[in-house]
Amino acid sequence: MKFPVFAFVALSCLLGGCASPVLVTKAQKFPRMYEEKPVTIFVLPPINSTTAVDAKEYYSTAIPQPLAFAGFYVLPIELTSELLKSQGLYDTELLINQPVNRFGEYFGADAVLFTHIKKWDKSYAVLAAALTVTIDAKLKSTRSNEVLWEYSGTIVADLSGQSSTGNPLVDLLANAIITGIKTAASDYVPYAELATTQLLQTVPFGKYHVRAAQDGQDKLVDQKPEKQPTQQTTNTPPPSAATGT
Amino acid sequence: MKLIPLLTVAVIFITGCTTPPVSYYYGSYSRTLYRSKKDNTPESIAKHRQTLEDIIQTSEKRSLKVPPGIYCEYAYLLTKEGIADADRYFSKEVSTYPESERFVSFVRAQFKQQSQ
Repeated sequence: MKFPVFAFVALSCLLGGCASPVLVTKAQKFPRMYEEKPVTIFVLPPINSTTAVDAKEYYSTAIPQPLAFAGFYVLPIELTSELLKSQGLYDTELLINQPVNRFGEYFGADAVLFTHIKKWDKSYAVLAAALTVTIDAKLKSTRSNEVLWEYSGTIVADLSGQSSTGNPLVDLLANAIITGIKTAASDYVPYAELATTQLLQTVPFGKYHVRAAQDGQDKLVDQKPEKQPTQQTTNTPPPSAATGT
Repeated sequence: MKLIPLLTVAVIFITGCTTPPVSYYYGSYSRTLYRSKKDNTPESIAKHRQTLEDIIQTSEKRSLKVPPGIYCEYAYLLTKEGIADADRYFSKEVSTYPESERFVSFVRAQFKQQSQ
């Protein structure tokens, strides 16, 4: 289990620049979620800015289940994507800066979920294969057109399925074989789902979750900390220095 | 260990990780949905339809709420196949999740238009 620890350290350094991450509560970070209490979610097809052609489909099918488990009513994506296709709106890029009120008027959605696949990388090494998935997600209100929640999550999934036999040589061979087989016929949906599940830990839960409206004090890493007033005052030169003469 | 991949995330969930979430039975939903979207063959669509039937039956057997959208998706598949019974499942979606009403009536109206 050396690798997970290493990866965790590496990632947390990346995210926090090795400084301690700023923690905030859900209620502090996403107060509008608690005001508007969205329930019905219209999931838009993911925006894919990676070179993995399959990622859009893999990822779209990995959204409804974790979103439902987070307590929301998810409109069936099979139908919503067909509807969008018939309207020529399957490319979510076209919708990103548009008001989303119509999703409320026509379909009764309280919010629209935008997802953006930023990274979908398979990396191969002799002994391991890993999948790195980075997703940015955003919930936009159909009432106010405001962003109610947004977060970015990354998972690194070990595709090699290693299990140790205690004999390093046997392990080495076995892992090489397993890696070869598994990456050829891999099914990434579970990993995509895991990425969504992790991301949705930070969303204020919907009404079907047992802790709906009670998770305001749950903590999460603030990915976009607002400038703290204390820092600003320390950076500002004292008035005497500023006046110069 | 195979299915528990190494995961490291930009998320720290200090509380909330021990509480059981909403319970739904999803069977092999995301996998068969993916295949039916990707392959779009009669076999893969039939397989996904079986998954939907399994979700509905198993949930009802275990007295669980059928997950959001499943009745509706099933009704949609049946309607596309011209099965008259489909409407019953649209109604079930609305009675299970009243918030789906506007969406379901929209979809029903679309189908009516098409069949006219």
